Amino acid sequence: MKRVRSALFGLVFMTASSSTYADWRFGAETGALYESNLSNSDRASDVQSDWAWQGEAHASNGLQLTRDLRLDVGTDFRSVAWSEYDAFNRIGAGVSTNLRYRFGLGRLAPWLLLDERIGYDHFQQSAQSRWDETAALRGGIFLTERMALEAGYTFENLASSGDFFDRQGHRLDAGMIFDLTSSLQVRVGYSFRNGGVISYAVPPRPDVFRIATVRVGDTAFGAYPLYNAYRFRAETHAASLTVGYTLTRYLSAQAGYEYSVTVHDSLSYENHRFEAKIIFAY
Amino acid sequence: MVHMIACLVVAAGSSYIKAGTLEVTVKDLKGAPVSDAVVYAKGNGTQLTHSPKQQVIDQQNKQFVPYVTAVQVGTAIIFPNKDNIRHHVYSLSPAKKFELPLYTGVPAAPVLFDKEGFVTLGCNIHDWMIAYVAVLATPYLKVTGNDGHVRLTDLPSGRYTVEAWQPLLKRKPEELAQVIDLSSTTSKAIAFSMELRPDFRARRAPDLGTGGYP
Repeated sequence: MKRVRSALFGLVFMTASSSTYADWRFGAETGALYESNLSNSDRASDVQSDWAWQGEAHASNGLQLTRDLRLDVGTDFRSVAWSEYDAFNRIGAGVSTNLRYRFGLGRLAPWLLLDERIGYDHFQQSAQSRWDETAALRGGIFLTERMALEAGYTFENLASSGDFFDRQGHRLDAGMIFDLTSSLQVRVGYSFRNGGVISYAVPPRPDVFRIATVRVGDTAFGAYPLYNAYRFRAETHAASLTVGYTLTRYLSAQAGYEYSVTVHDSLSYENHRFEAKIIFAY
Repeated sequence: MVHMIACLVVAAGSSYIKAGTLEVTVKDLKGAPVSDAVVYAKGNGTQLTHSPKQQVIDQQNKQFVPYVTAVQVGTAIIFPNKDNIRHHVYSLSPAKKFELPLYTGVPAAPVLFDKEGFVTLGCNIHDWMIAYVAVLATPYLKVTGNDGHVRLTDLPSGRYTVEAWQPLLKRKPEELAQVIDLSSTTSKAIAFSMELRPDFRARRAPDLGTGGYP
């Protein structure tokens, strides 16, 4: 199935990039990321935080099929390097395609976007290395010239080299984007995810063992104390605030904060995530 | 002989029609010069040129050039695409609604701007591309540069209503109108003070939305 999809992606990509009407777009971004609960632990004594440098480069080609319909195909390379817990360091690449339909002319017209991405991420802890597939349906509308509403559904499928890290999830999200000044934007968002999560805890945890699939003695957070990794289904609610600032015609800076709480029956854990990055696009 | 006499009469008459000059400065409320402001003079006896010269608005490096164009009613504008990608020029403005769908090179025909008003141009592919056309019922019009200054020349003797407009102007241009009299003098200087809205045009740099340019 993956081969068929990869072949389809390749075909679409080659068709679009060989088009006379290629409209290439290149981009790169880099920045810092902090997770207050990288281990997704519910007990305070198990919580491990860390920060990382992340980077991404991408190229895409746009093909306006009709007045309102646009096809984009792209490829990306991305990496994350954590300061302390290098088991989570990863490097990956992917291909994506999306089809956007806009109900009218201009940026204020409502739009729908169908997006599919397939990628492979190689983790330093090889058991986590995985195929990563996301499919999303998104839509948006400008409520005023300075205020837009976006919402979407995303299905994600992570297929790891070892079965333990396989996960699937469904996510609904919505956000409002405000243009505060000519160069300053703010996005307020909320998302709900239902799907598999990996939570780390120092055993014994019979309460978690009861609801989860267990990987005993995972060394992602070191050998002492030795954690177990638990996989189970949970619901995650997340609220986020992102600020974007246009620096030049091709460059902008973004900083974001997200608070999330993940719940399964009586088990729950929180995470505070901070992100700051510089984004270039041409 | 008759022709010679006629020419002499016309020449003598024309020496009595004084050509006036109007110096106009446009500033914002803080006193800074305002560029891309259209300054135009309307007189009771204003004669429109019958066949205004065709104007050009280019698309270069995914931008319209120039940003603001002022033309007389009845002017045709051609929109050459100098990029090696396709553009889709459109306007939803009541004064001129049109589309030039997905094209490269020079369109086969220019677009005729035959109704007075202010027209906003966009590209349906590149949302940040925006330009304005002021379509006015007078041949006495100009667009300010970075110094916020224009000089309107060759105005026949008489009274004029002078107005100024800019894409970010908060009020109607009629509210800024000034009446000047060029009957007794051949040159005059006036100034406009404009209150401008913040500039909220779409960005080319990456923004927080996902629906625009990928």
